[in-house]
Amino acid sequence: MAELAPSRIEVRDLTLMYGHDTVLDALSLPVPAGKVTVLAGPNGCGKSTLLRAIRRLHQGQRGQILLDGVDIGALGAKDLARQIGLLAQSPSAPPDMSVEELVRLGRYPHQAMLQPWSEKDGAAVNRAMVGTGVDTLKHRRIGSLSGGQLQRAWIAMVLAQETDIICLDEPVNHLDMAHQLDCLDLVAKLNREAGRTIVLVLHDLNLAARYADQLVFVHEGRVRALGRPEELMTPELLAEVFEVDAAIMTDPVHGRPICIPRGRAKAKSVREIA
Amino acid sequence: MASTMALPNRRSRLGASKATLYAGLIGLLALSMLMSLTLGYKIYSLGQVFGALFAHDGSETAVVITGLRLPRALIAPLTGAALGMAGVMVQTLSRNRIASPDTLGLNGGASLAVVVGSVVFGVQSLTGLSLAAAFGAFITSIVVFGVAASAGGLSPLKIVLVGVTFASLSHALVEVILTSNEAQLQQLLFWLSGAFVDRPIGLFYNGLPVVLAGAVLGIGLSRALDALQADDSTAAGLGVPLAAVRGLAFLAVALLTGAAVSMAGPVAFVGLVVPHAARRLVGLRHIHQLPAAALFGAVYTTLADVAARFVIYPVEAPVGAITAVVGAVVLLVLLARRAA
Repeated sequence: MAELAPSRIEVRDLTLMYGHDTVLDALSLPVPAGKVTVLAGPNGCGKSTLLRAIRRLHQGQRGQILLDGVDIGALGAKDLARQIGLLAQSPSAPPDMSVEELVRLGRYPHQAMLQPWSEKDGAAVNRAMVGTGVDTLKHRRIGSLSGGQLQRAWIAMVLAQETDIICLDEPVNHLDMAHQLDCLDLVAKLNREAGRTIVLVLHDLNLAARYADQLVFVHEGRVRALGRPEELMTPELLAEVFEVDAAIMTDPVHGRPICIPRGRAKAKSVREIA
Repeated sequence: MASTMALPNRRSRLGASKATLYAGLIGLLALSMLMSLTLGYKIYSLGQVFGALFAHDGSETAVVITGLRLPRALIAPLTGAALGMAGVMVQTLSRNRIASPDTLGLNGGASLAVVVGSVVFGVQSLTGLSLAAAFGAFITSIVVFGVAASAGGLSPLKIVLVGVTFASLSHALVEVILTSNEAQLQQLLFWLSGAFVDRPIGLFYNGLPVVLAGAVLGIGLSRALDALQADDSTAAGLGVPLAAVRGLAFLAVALLTGAAVSMAGPVAFVGLVVPHAARRLVGLRHIHQLPAAALFGAVYTTLADVAARFVIYPVEAPVGAITAVVGAVVLLVLLARRAA
């Protein structure tokens, strides 16, 4: 299924070094249009870096990132921000900022300097707040929100940007189970109903398998495997990429694969230590 | 549909209340400037003031009002407006609500330049010392910005750490120079605590275009500054060119602080206190935060200058001492609340 859709984004031979450490190592990745791509991998594998690199936020990244076939290096910062939205990992803003003030920030790439606030801007902000259910909270200070409300306010900020492609870096961190589902269902709805292309970084493999059209395992700065969740959720791959010995079953509710880790994959971790 | 329809109503209601607020602040500013003209060692009637301003008759009253009262009634609000706007931008740039031109070391750098200019280069004239102060603020902002930006990118914390370090350094150097030059001490002490007394009106005309330039630059950057209140990744993700915006905003801060110090010396803590009031009045968007800080800063500084004439009447207290006391109380309250 994912293979049939044309790529919106094509990452080619992306390399990024921090000092002498190679964080991304000639990584290549297609991001299919109108699909949910989930990046998963162990800590430090480079998945968050990859997400930021897609938005060209790193100094000294080498390789190509094509957006609809055009190198994003040729696009201005605002042009790019009108096409790809990014919700950073653990984003922050002053606690006395109101929800509405936060969501309005999403209109930045659509506004020229000193251009007055337009009806179009207002409508976009309103739609984003209604769509995430924070319209009733718009005068609240973000410091007074619960974790789930705050995350929805941030997603509203990214939605107000009105980009076809939305990247979210671990959007459900620090949320309880109900709010994790709320947040990811909202993202899935954006994908289904508005046809947005979504790129997510998720830590929880079962959530990743449940929401992904295309699942990507990132390991040591490279894409180790990508495909449908059923193809990737195998004991062999989980042992290699995540160093866990896991049983794979099919979730009886959604029909997606789920994994149940028995423990660390012994052979691999011994080799790592040695 | 209902929600999109509600939007224009809400905006006009907010707009109306902001317009009322601005009108109120402008009214307060006019009132405080009239107080500055009438109240002091001698108290003049409004009739005497207007008579002196519009029909200069060469009387002693007219000379006092136009030569002494008028300059400070103009320089005090302009200084307050400049420091208020500089404070807003410094707090946004450092993402630190207790940052101010003082904590970035700009006032310290300006003071050091004044002392060096006076003691080392023998600069005597007030205008000469003012130029030295403005120059000092400029150089300091470039040094602080440059050091903070070198080696691994500009972080808000690093800006403040470099600024505080530079402020301590310049205060230490000022003390060393003054201790070894007792004769200069009395003369410079009044300047170093900040004051609007005995400033020639020419300083106002020198400062006005610089403050306006800083204000226009700040307003032009207002949307980017809004976005910079979020973290770097978010701001960059919105398409904000971080380095360029920070550089230009620091230029605006240097213009505003340099102009303020050149007119009045280092008036402590105005840049710390005023942004808090502005945000409470109009929220966090810079297109409102900056004008509100300018107006509130102007009123606050002018009233502090009037108060300075009476706290140890008949002697004048330096206005910098008044703003330092108020600022210290506000700072302590802010710190206590943050800890709570």
